[in-house]
Amino acid sequence: MNAVMDPVEHYRALVDAATPLLPGAHLAWLVEQRERGLEHFLANGFPTRKQEAWRYTGLERVLEEAWLPQAEAVVNLAADDLSRLWLAPKAGARLVFVNGRWMPALSTPVDAVPAGVQLGGLREALEEEPDQLSAWLGGAAHIEASAFTALNSALLDDGAWLQIAADRRLPAPIEILYLSLGQDRAAIHPRNLLVLEEGAQATVIEHYASLDEAPSFTNAVTEVMVGDGARLEHTRLQDESPSARHMSSVFVRQAGDSAYHATHVSLGGVWSRSEYHNRLQCERANCEIDGLYVSGERRLADVHVAIEHAVPACSSRQRFKGIVLGSGRAVFDGLIRVQPDAQKTDAHLSNDNLLLSRDAEVDTKPQLEIYADDVKCSHGTTVGQLDPAQLFYLRSRGIGLGEARRMLCLGFATEVLDGCSVEGFADRVGERLRQHLEASPLIRVNEE
Amino acid sequence: MLKVTDLQVTVDNQPILKGLDLSVGAGEVHAIMGPNGSGKSSLAHVLAGREGYQVTGGEVCFDGQDLLALDVEERARRGLFLALQYPVELPGVSTMVFLRESLNAVRAQRGEPPLDAAAFIKLLREKARLVELNPELLKRAVNTGFSGGEKKRSEILQMALLEPKLAVLDETDSGLDIDALRIVADGVNALRSPQRSMILVTHYQRLLDYIEPDFVHVLAGGRIVRSGDKSLALELERRGYGWIAGEAAA
Amino acid sequence: MSSNSSEVSALIRREYEQGFVTDIPTESLPPGLDEQVVRAISAKKSEPDWLLEWRLEAFRYWSQQREPQWAAVHHAPIDYQAISYYSAPKSRPGPKSLDEVDPKLLETYEKLGIPLAEQKMLAGVAVDAVFDSVSVATTFKEKLAEAGVIFSSISEAVREHPELVRQHLGSVVSYRDNFFASLNAAVFSDGTFVYIPKGVRCPMELSTYFRINSANTGQFERTLIVADEASYVSYLEGCTAPMRDENQLHAAVVELVALEDARIKYSTVQNWYPGDEQGRGGIYNFVTKRGECRGARSHISWTQVETGSAITWKYPSCILRGDDSVGEFYSVAVTRGRQQADTGTKMIHMGRNTRSTIVSKGISAGQGSNAYRGLVRMTPKAENARNHTQCDSLLIGDRCAAHTFPYIEVRNPTAKVEHEATTSKIGDDQLFYCRSRGLSEENAVSMIVNGFCKEVFKELPMEFAAEAQKLLSVSLEGAVG
Repeated sequence: MNAVMDPVEHYRALVDAATPLLPGAHLAWLVEQRERGLEHFLANGFPTRKQEAWRYTGLERVLEEAWLPQAEAVVNLAADDLSRLWLAPKAGARLVFVNGRWMPALSTPVDAVPAGVQLGGLREALEEEPDQLSAWLGGAAHIEASAFTALNSALLDDGAWLQIAADRRLPAPIEILYLSLGQDRAAIHPRNLLVLEEGAQATVIEHYASLDEAPSFTNAVTEVMVGDGARLEHTRLQDESPSARHMSSVFVRQAGDSAYHATHVSLGGVWSRSEYHNRLQCERANCEIDGLYVSGERRLADVHVAIEHAVPACSSRQRFKGIVLGSGRAVFDGLIRVQPDAQKTDAHLSNDNLLLSRDAEVDTKPQLEIYADDVKCSHGTTVGQLDPAQLFYLRSRGIGLGEARRMLCLGFATEVLDGCSVEGFADRVGERLRQHLEASPLIRVNEE
Repeated sequence: MLKVTDLQVTVDNQPILKGLDLSVGAGEVHAIMGPNGSGKSSLAHVLAGREGYQVTGGEVCFDGQDLLALDVEERARRGLFLALQYPVELPGVSTMVFLRESLNAVRAQRGEPPLDAAAFIKLLREKARLVELNPELLKRAVNTGFSGGEKKRSEILQMALLEPKLAVLDETDSGLDIDALRIVADGVNALRSPQRSMILVTHYQRLLDYIEPDFVHVLAGGRIVRSGDKSLALELERRGYGWIAGEAAA
Repeated sequence: MSSNSSEVSALIRREYEQGFVTDIPTESLPPGLDEQVVRAISAKKSEPDWLLEWRLEAFRYWSQQREPQWAAVHHAPIDYQAISYYSAPKSRPGPKSLDEVDPKLLETYEKLGIPLAEQKMLAGVAVDAVFDSVSVATTFKEKLAEAGVIFSSISEAVREHPELVRQHLGSVVSYRDNFFASLNAAVFSDGTFVYIPKGVRCPMELSTYFRINSANTGQFERTLIVADEASYVSYLEGCTAPMRDENQLHAAVVELVALEDARIKYSTVQNWYPGDEQGRGGIYNFVTKRGECRGARSHISWTQVETGSAITWKYPSCILRGDDSVGEFYSVAVTRGRQQADTGTKMIHMGRNTRSTIVSKGISAGQGSNAYRGLVRMTPKAENARNHTQCDSLLIGDRCAAHTFPYIEVRNPTAKVEHEATTSKIGDDQLFYCRSRGLSEENAVSMIVNGFCKEVFKELPMEFAAEAQKLLSVSLEGAVG
């Protein structure tokens, strides 16, 4: 970025330029959301390390470039180009976004989508059937969460729109792929809206990938509504190029007896931050988030999870593992907040980190904030290395040191990946993790 | 097969082995007995190459090579196998992947081609029968959630799979009930051959009722203080280690 | 503290007993703070120029700072100009012996269970008694001097051992450290100084007893303990104040220096007036405590039992600079009524093979709020460093709050950090079990609470077990059932 340019001014100009082109300009409720987003952004600007939620996360890598939105995605891609990227071979439907824009030609045709499912691009839906969206859009995301959510709201344009009718149980996953490619300094601000009505069940995969090494900036917001008794299996993989900057914020609202399970994996990007804001707002809801983050050479992987128990008798679990290689940095911030009267809360958080290099750094902050007494809450955090006894055992069976290390790292990751019900996902991530491990020299820190 | 000469080992500058001599010929089974703290397990670990033991003197020649110059995995690939007293759990690491990786590493050293998945599974099933190990356990992570007896059987299964030249069994009988002990011993006996040597490290004579050794050595104070045939084990059983220790001190 | 729980039970139900006021003529500075006040305090103590200069620098720095906002505590703004920064009983200048101490003061301490006459005292415990802004008596000085131990008020130490004080004062907690540490450096009025020479094991427990008496007065004491090579000292502080409707500020600084092979054990039993059930009055206890394990194999252990104060804001910390040095933090913090505590520790690992242990037990009852806030930092040079942290919170009543905010920063791949935290209420099954064995519910609760805290209590010096129990006078009555 031009050193004299003020980043807030840059984005203000972008929003001003983009506004006339955004869909649904005639919808008062939508315009109001965009305006609130812009106001909040302008009033507060980008966060600094003085803000508690950003104390370990500098924004230099994001603000150093003048990212530009991609007005039109002019891309020649064929469906075959994407086949190697699909995570679920048996997906029931697929949705592709290139540089933030829905590509119907690369996605499952609308008439082939399973019954009871609305699936498509948000932009088109806002133009054609906005009434369906007004009840949901913006209902989970809170603009105040960060400058990024505010910006995403101000630029609210396109993204995945999925609604599953009451009591529909989808047997196969729905896979959504976000690609950035071709354009230098591309900024995309996808807004996704996933709505599961009462008793619905589905598996949704969000996959963020790059097809080339061009620097890009993704600022995604995903809103999730899980209705009474509904169940969502949410699998999210961030595997963008090593020059990508990736910010994603997931906001989940859960109704009574609902279940939300996420498997989160951060692999790519030079700067990556993923936030989860989950609110359990009716009784007996259950929320589980398993996650893996891998950081390497001069990269940052940051995960923030805040689970809010607003009512009694809900349960939650966060289980995150981190592997930090080279001169990588990883940040984990996990919060369990139990509001007054949210009795019978059962909430647990674990965070384990492997620090595998001299130059690596982990900063972790597991937090409990509890305003009710009849609760069972706990967290456990470790930062350490591979266990020498385990390494010895593998080597005493003839397995070389490097391979022994990789096996243990993969085993460490497997414990969180195995929770994912998407067939083949754990193996696929395992393969990518193995590539990261093979590319990074592992130091001998334990053997003297 | 194995020749240990005047081996001296310290741990944190404390002498553990103080000039140990041991010679094991091809096909022989040697039992090493001794009171707690005599250095039995240390010997087993030093042979396998565990970190934390400083060899301050002596030599170990294994199959014509300087064993102490080899890395842990090199020793394993050249045919040394250590069955641990407390097999390590490897959460998240698939037993199948682990065993195949291990077997193929050893095979590569022997100049044999790697086994494909089908051949490997067939071999594994066959070996699992030998130690009466429930094949379901092989679908789990290595040793994770295994009972004590299952872990020991899994160790013998690995030995059967890797077909070592020299197997060192460290307190393989500890924590086993009589049925499990019999299964493990049957497994070991089935693996006895004129080309395969074994060292049984044990505190009790009990194991030797099931696996008959050719030689029995008593380790005390970091040295082998007495050697004999299996009658020595019976005498020890009768008279206790105090008898040897007293003699050694005299 | 292995004694039976019925004693604890009686104690935790006790009302605040130390809330009386001693009627004694005092000499106080009028409320307000400016350079003249700093100069006046320094002049009253006939301080050398270097110390006055240091105070003035601290004051100027403080004037530009703002109160920290990050702690999980809430209070009305403090008017720093409404506080008197110096108050002392009129019997000054310093008494030579106990006979010269105003009998009213002796009576006060006697009433608090801290008799200052040596023949009445607990054998083996030396006491420095600090009343409002000044030290009024220090016992067993001669006996300690025989061993080469210096145990005196810090004012006296400035006069008698200026080189030692100058060398170490502010070396662990600089006047720029934080808002309250800056304020303390500017206006500290007294406190305790301890020096243990090389190779000396301090022959008795040392203790300071802090008493705030005057109204509208802040207490700003400063404690400095230097343990020279291979020495050992165990030190305990106790604190009480009268019941008053307005809040009073206590902003102390404690600095510990442990050289090679030295060991310092620092215990606190803090029972400042907590305010009433409606949250009126009580002490604001904003304290900076830090020890530096400067030498190899040195060892600093903090143990605290925090039952008093309207607000507690303190983080006794260790800088583990020496190789193989050890830092420990054992804490019990009880909040009830409207009390708020934000407390914890920082363990900064700099040397090789450094070890730290953190055990924090928070008990929240009524509308009390209790936060553990801690930092474990492994710097790149902290080869093979280890930390283990256990934070447990016990909740009694549905209006209380318990928080855990640990920060873990690791920059060395050979270091290991383990942190565990739990929050729960007293189990119904535990209560049922105790009651089915004939215990009353209150007895059962206090027995369970006592067990919950045991890991920390056992770290308190034996000599103080009874005193500590006495000071652990927290009423859980009405919070139960």
